[in-house]
Amino acid sequence: MDRLLDNYHYAAAAILFCIGLYSVIVRPNIIKKIIGLNIMETSVFLLLVSMGWKDGGIAPIHGGGAEAAAMVNPIPQALILTGIVVAVSTTAVALSLVILLYRQYGTLDVDRLMKEEESESAPAGAGSGEG
Amino acid sequence: MKKVISLCFIGALGVLLLMVMASMPRMGDPQSPTNTRVIDRYLEGAEEETGTENVITGVILNYRGYDTMGEVTVIFTGLAAVLAVLGRERRGRIHAYPDRSPIRPSIIVRSAVSFLLPFIVLFSLYTVLHGEISPGGGFQGGAVLAAGMFVFAAAFGLWRAGRTVPPWLRYAVEGAAPVTFFLVGAAGLVGGAEFLTYMLPKASAGLQPSLRTWMTLLVEGGIGAGGAMIFLSILMAMAREEDAGGQAA
Repeated sequence: MDRLLDNYHYAAAAILFCIGLYSVIVRPNIIKKIIGLNIMETSVFLLLVSMGWKDGGIAPIHGGGAEAAAMVNPIPQALILTGIVVAVSTTAVALSLVILLYRQYGTLDVDRLMKEEESESAPAGAGSGEG
Repeated sequence: MKKVISLCFIGALGVLLLMVMASMPRMGDPQSPTNTRVIDRYLEGAEEETGTENVITGVILNYRGYDTMGEVTVIFTGLAAVLAVLGRERRGRIHAYPDRSPIRPSIIVRSAVSFLLPFIVLFSLYTVLHGEISPGGGFQGGAVLAAGMFVFAAAFGLWRAGRTVPPWLRYAVEGAAPVTFFLVGAAGLVGGAEFLTYMLPKASAGLQPSLRTWMTLLVEGGIGAGGAMIFLSILMAMAREEDAGGQAA
């Protein structure tokens, strides 16, 4: 338990992950699902960046007489930059698909979307049985 | 019912994750595995090997150069996918809710935006150009620039924004990031070294920050400008409304 208090960043990351997962699973609104996905991504970023932290660490920038031994780990930060860019791109694509769905069906509610799709494909689709 | 099952599942997952977190090495421990293996090598060698004082920039553009090039391609592909789904706006026909709204943004909003915008743009330039000696870099500066343009578009409408940053400029600069990355990488190839070594022997003799620094700056600038324009194009594609008789995207 003591260790959990020391690792409070990690604990926060785990809780954020659960909050994001909750809104992905439970919320019917697609945009809220995408927001939940972004919260989950943020929790992973928080976890990885905190792993690079050192006690009393300074930014990994040489110059001004900064000594290398005190610097924090630069690798997670560089990785997270990549991760953020990928997260932005996937979010943009997901949102554009959502815009298209809304134009087509006029709703963002997943349950109603599924119903619409069923009623639309029922008369036309004769032989496509897929659970 | 579905909600209860989901909550039980998420609660169990949360307890499991917290137990894992409790058994991990203490955060900030200098002796933990993440802080002991290869890090010293990067921290000590980066300045000579990459020529940038900011180790993170060195890692992004040099040690993980291929990865960053792929990443730049990922944003570009993201834009391509958004445009494939929603379609590019037609010339001179762009409008959205702020343009049609009968209530104009108040004078406070408009003057605050016009007062702040030059400083936002200046800060983004600073972030890009100082990316190798201070916190910052191409992606960060591009994001700040894009945020400034988003604020402008929110206050003055997409039509004004589309006039201020003309479409031909956006179309031309969108691909800047992968293109500059590839050209700089190919320059290393021409110079007789490997791809992405930021080298061009014979040209580097008298330049005062070294040629490597100039090439790094070039890549950062390409990433910044290209990223900002990609974000603005995504905004234009998403926020515009179909005009009444127009074909669906």
